[in-house]
Amino acid sequence: MAVAPAVDDGPPIIQSSERRIVIPTNILTGIALAAVGYWAGAQLGISFALNDAGNTEVLLGYTFASIMFLVGIGFANYPLARLFGWRVTPQPAGDDHDGPWRYLNLSLDHKVIGVQYLVAMLMAMLFGGIGAMLIRTSLLVPDPPIVAPDKYLTLVSMHSVMMIFVASAAIVGPFGNFFVPYMIGTNRMAFPRLEALSFWLVPPAIVILLAAPIFGGFQTGWTGYTPLSEQADQGFDSYIVGFTLIGLALVVSGVNMLTTIIQLRAPGMTWTRLPIFVWGVFSASILGTFAAPILAAALVMQGLDRTVNTTFFISSAGGSPYLWENLFWFFGHPEVYIFILPAFGIVLELIVHFSRKPLWGYRTAVVGLLGVTLLSWFVWQHHLFMSGIAPALRPFFMFSTEMISIPTGIVFLVAFGTMWRARISMTVPMLFSLGFLFNFLIGGLSGVFLSDVPSDTTLHGSYFSMAHFHFTIVGGEIFAIVAAIYYWFPKMTGRMLNQTWGKIHFWWMFIAFNLAFMPLFAAGLLDMPRRVSTYAVSLQTLNDWVSVWAFILFASMVLFAINIIWSWFFTFKVAPANPWQARSIEWMLPTPLGRRNFEKIPVFTGGPYDYGNPSAKPAADLGGPPDRGMGSLGAEPAPS
Amino acid sequence: MSRLDRTHALRLLVAWAVLSVVGVLIAMQVHLPPGDQSTQATDETSLLQLMLIISTPVFVGVVLFILYSVFAFRQTRGAALEDGPPSYGNFRLQVAWVAITAIIVLLLAVIGINGLTSSAAETNFASSQAALGTGGSATTSGHRLQVQVIGQQWWFTYRYPDFGGAESLHLMLPVNTNIEFHVTSTDVVHSFWAYELGVKADANPGVDNITYVSTVRTGAFTVRCAELCGIWHGHMADTNNAVVSQADFTTWIAQVQKDNSDLNLPPYSPIYFPHPPIKGD
Amino acid sequence: MAALLALFAGFATSFVFHFPPTLTAQPTTVGNGVTIHLETVAAISDAIAFPRPEDPHPDWVSYLPTTVLKVPANSVVTISIDQEDGASGLRNPYWAKAQGIIGGTFHMSYFDDTGAPQVGDFSELPDPTSLGHSFAIPDLGVFVPLLGISDAAPAGSHNEITFSFKTGKAGIFRWQCFVPCGAGSIYGNGNAMSAFGYMQGTLVVQ
Repeated sequence: MAVAPAVDDGPPIIQSSERRIVIPTNILTGIALAAVGYWAGAQLGISFALNDAGNTEVLLGYTFASIMFLVGIGFANYPLARLFGWRVTPQPAGDDHDGPWRYLNLSLDHKVIGVQYLVAMLMAMLFGGIGAMLIRTSLLVPDPPIVAPDKYLTLVSMHSVMMIFVASAAIVGPFGNFFVPYMIGTNRMAFPRLEALSFWLVPPAIVILLAAPIFGGFQTGWTGYTPLSEQADQGFDSYIVGFTLIGLALVVSGVNMLTTIIQLRAPGMTWTRLPIFVWGVFSASILGTFAAPILAAALVMQGLDRTVNTTFFISSAGGSPYLWENLFWFFGHPEVYIFILPAFGIVLELIVHFSRKPLWGYRTAVVGLLGVTLLSWFVWQHHLFMSGIAPALRPFFMFSTEMISIPTGIVFLVAFGTMWRARISMTVPMLFSLGFLFNFLIGGLSGVFLSDVPSDTTLHGSYFSMAHFHFTIVGGEIFAIVAAIYYWFPKMTGRMLNQTWGKIHFWWMFIAFNLAFMPLFAAGLLDMPRRVSTYAVSLQTLNDWVSVWAFILFASMVLFAINIIWSWFFTFKVAPANPWQARSIEWMLPTPLGRRNFEKIPVFTGGPYDYGNPSAKPAADLGGPPDRGMGSLGAEPAPS
Repeated sequence: MSRLDRTHALRLLVAWAVLSVVGVLIAMQVHLPPGDQSTQATDETSLLQLMLIISTPVFVGVVLFILYSVFAFRQTRGAALEDGPPSYGNFRLQVAWVAITAIIVLLLAVIGINGLTSSAAETNFASSQAALGTGGSATTSGHRLQVQVIGQQWWFTYRYPDFGGAESLHLMLPVNTNIEFHVTSTDVVHSFWAYELGVKADANPGVDNITYVSTVRTGAFTVRCAELCGIWHGHMADTNNAVVSQADFTTWIAQVQKDNSDLNLPPYSPIYFPHPPIKGD
Repeated sequence: MAALLALFAGFATSFVFHFPPTLTAQPTTVGNGVTIHLETVAAISDAIAFPRPEDPHPDWVSYLPTTVLKVPANSVVTISIDQEDGASGLRNPYWAKAQGIIGGTFHMSYFDDTGAPQVGDFSELPDPTSLGHSFAIPDLGVFVPLLGISDAAPAGSHNEITFSFKTGKAGIFRWQCFVPCGAGSIYGNGNAMSAFGYMQGTLVVQ
C-alpha cells in the first residue's frame, strides 16, 4: 500500500511498490517457496539426468530452492515493480515489516542486517562447535571406533565447512555492515539490497549444508579434493551449492562494502582518517570480491562433472586433479586472509581505544594490511608443495610465503607502538585483543615452519598444519569476533554484556584453547596425519588431554552464549551511550541508536584516535555541514 | 627518545635477552623429527631446529612485551580515565622493524631453498639449481634405485622396476643408497609419507610424482597416507617397513620376485590409468 | 529455535552413532578355532543366506550379515564366504594373490565358465579380471581374492571360498574389499565401497 511520506522518523531510504505482489513476502513465504522450489528442481533433475548418480536432482533442487527462497522473502519485489512500471514511493520506517519481525525478514536497514548476521553467525558457530565436540569425542580412543569412519569423516567435513562459512563472514557481516556506515558518516550503504542479499544467501547455505547427512554426508573435508569428491554421493552436492552461495555472498558483500567506503565517506573523512577497522574490512572485501568467483567457477565445474559427465578433474579421461587443487587454493589462500584482515582491523581498533593512545604508525598499519592483501594472491601453491608441482616453482612460493609474514609482523609492530607508555584499561574486549596477539603469534610462527619446503615435508597434512590454522583462525579470528561482540554489543543491542562473566569467559576460553591446541603441534610432529579417525596408541594420552580441554573450551562458549542471551533479552537496564569512553563516532551517538543514523551528515574534524591531545577536536561535528541547499549523498533517499 | 622510554626499553631488552637465552637453550633440547635415517631427514631436522631456535626469541619478545605493557602501562585504578601521550609513530623504528623481520625471513627462505636444492641433488631439478646459482652439492654418480609407490584405496604397494616390476606390500630399502621414488595412484589422491625418512609426496592418479631419498642408517620406518583419501585414510599406515643392509635387501627382493612369479602383473609403468573410470561403463 | 535444535540433535545422534551389529565367530565343530560364515551379494535385495530387508540401500553390493566380526585372540579363524556377485576385476592385479592365510591357499568350490561346478585349492586367481570381491585385513597381512560368479552358473548359486588365518594379540583391525565394486561411482570406490558396514568393517580380536 502506498503510504504518503509521514513525519520524518526514519531513514527514507527504502521504497516499496505501490501495488503489492499477491502473496505477502516474508520468511514464511520464503520457506514455503523454497520447499516448492526444491521439489520442482528435483523433478527437473530426475527427468533430465544424464547419469543415475542422483546428483542432478539434488543440485537443481538446492539451486531452485535457494532462488525461490530469495523470491519468497521479497527480493523480487522491487525488480518486478520496476519491470512492471509501478510507481514507487518512498516509505518511512525503512522496511515492509516492523517490530521484532523486522529481524526475521528482508530489511534494507544496515543495522538490522548487522544484527541478523550476528545471530546467524552465532548459530552457525554453534552447529560447527557441536561437530567439533563429536569429532573430539570420537578421537578419545583410537579403536574401537566410537563413530564409524565414514561418519567420522562426514563430521569433520561438516564441522570444517560450517566453520569456514562462519569465518568468511563473521566480522564483515555483523560489524562491517553495522558500523562501517557510522564510521564513515553515512546513513546507508551504497547498495542496501545487495547488502541484504549478502546476508540472506547465508541461511540457505547453512541449511543446505546441514542437509548433507540426509544424503549420506560427504567425506572430503572442506578442501573437496577431486577425485575423492567425485566418488562421493549426493551428500557432496550440499558442499557445492552451499559453498557457491557463500562465495556469492562474499562477492556481493565485497562490492557493496568497497563502493560504500570509496564513495560514501562524509566530508572530512579522508583516507588517512579512516578507522583501521574500516581498512580491515576494505582489504578483506577486495579479496572477497575477486577471489570468490574463482571458487564459484571451480564448484560449477565439479557440479558439471557430477551431472553432465564432463571430466574436468578425472585424469584417466583427460582432466586433472591438479586443476581443482590449484583453482581451489587460488581462492583458498585469499580466503584465509579474508578471515584475518578484518580481525586485524578489530584488534588494532580495540587496542587503540583501550590504550587511550593514537594508533602508532597508522600509515604503516595500512600499508601492512594492503601488503597482505596484495601478497595473498602470490602464495597459494604453498598448499601444494608436496603435491608434485614442478620443483622449480617451490622456491618462488616459499619466498613469497615467507615475505607475507613481513606485513603481518607490521600489525604487531603497530599494536606494540600503540601500547607503549599507554594507559591500558584491561576491559574484556582488551583481554580478548591481547589474547588474539598471543594466539596469532603462535599461529603465525607455525606458519613459517610450514612455509619452508624441507620442513613442510614432515608437517604438511599432519596435525601440525591443523594446529597452525586453528591457532590463526580460532585463536585469531574467533577471539577477535568475541572481542568485537563484547565491545559493540552495547551499541548494537542497547544492553551491556555482563563484564564479570566476560572476564571469566576470557580466562576460561584462553587457557582451554591453548591447552587444547598446543599439544596438537606435538601430535603432528609425532606422525599423526589430519582427518584421521584413528591414531597410534602411543598418542592416546595426548589426544585424550586435547579432547578434555576441547570440551572445556566448548563449555566456555556456552557461558558466553548464556551471557549474550541473558543480557540481551532478560536484562532491562539500557547500556550507557559510551561505556568505554572511546573517541570514535559510533560512541558519540546515543544508545539505543535511532532509526536514522545521522540527522545531518557529520563533518569529520579529526581522526578517531586523537587521544592525549587536549586540543584535539572530537572526531566529528554532528551538526552537519552548513546547509547550502544542495544535500549530500547519503543524506537524502536514493532517487526513485 | 625520552628518559622514560629509555628506562622501559632497557628493562625490556635485558629481560628479553635473558629469557631468550633460556628459551633457546630449552629449544635446543627438543628432539625434532624426522631424525637421521636419511640425508633428507637430517636436513629437515636441522631446518626445523633452526626455525625453532629463531622463533623462540620472537615468541619470548612478544609475550614479554604484552605482559610488561599490561603491568607497566596500566590505567591507574580508581582514578578517572587518562589518555596516553599522543605519539603517532616513529619512522626510523618502523623501518628498522620491517627491515629486521625482512632479513630474518629472507634468511630462512635462502636456507630453505638451499636445503631443497641440496637434498634433491642430481635430480631433474638440476636446471633450476643452475638457475638459482647455488652450484649444488657434489653429485654421487651412479644409478638410483627406482621404487614405485602405488597409492590405492586403502593400502600402499611398492614395485621395483629394477627387479622386473616385482610388487610387495611393504617397503624395504637398502642402506647407503640413493633412491628415486615414483609415486602414483590408481584412484584418488593419496600422499606417501615415510616419516623417519623425511619423505612426503602426493600420489595423484595419472601423475608420476618423483622424489628422492638417500638412506644413511638401517632401521624400521613407518609409512602413512597424508592426504585424505576416504574412509580408511587414518588406517592407511604401515609400520613393517625398514631400511636394511644391502645383503638383506638382495635376499628380500629375490623372495618378492619369487612370490610374484605366479602373478599376472601388468608391465611396470609410471602411471596406471584405471579402466574403466566408472564401474559399470 | 529450541525445537529445531532438538531435532538436529536427535538426527545428528542417530546418524553419527549408528553402527552395524557385531557378529561373533562360532566355535568350529571339528578341531580348534572359530568360524564365520559371510555372504557377498551384488545387491542386498538379492541376498539368499542373510537377507537384510531393512537396509536403506537395497541396490548396493555388500557383505552380509554384517561387517563387524568378533573373534578370539591367538586362535585360528576360518572364514567361508558365499560369493554371489559377478566379476568386476581389480584395479591392481596384485590383489589376486592370496597372502597371510594358513597354508597359503584357499579352498574354493565354484562354477567355471561353462557353468560346471568345480572344486580346488588355490593360492591366487590366475585371471585378475575375474574377481568379484576380495577380503583383506591389511594390518594382519591377510589378502584373499573372491572369484566372481560365472554368468553360466545356475541362478541363485554361489562360489564358496574358505580360508583360515591366525589371530595374534587382541586389538581392532579394519578389513576391506580391494575390488572397486562401488557401482556407478568414479573409479568404482564410491557408494558401498565408501560406507562402513557394506564393503568394509572391523575385526574385533578379543
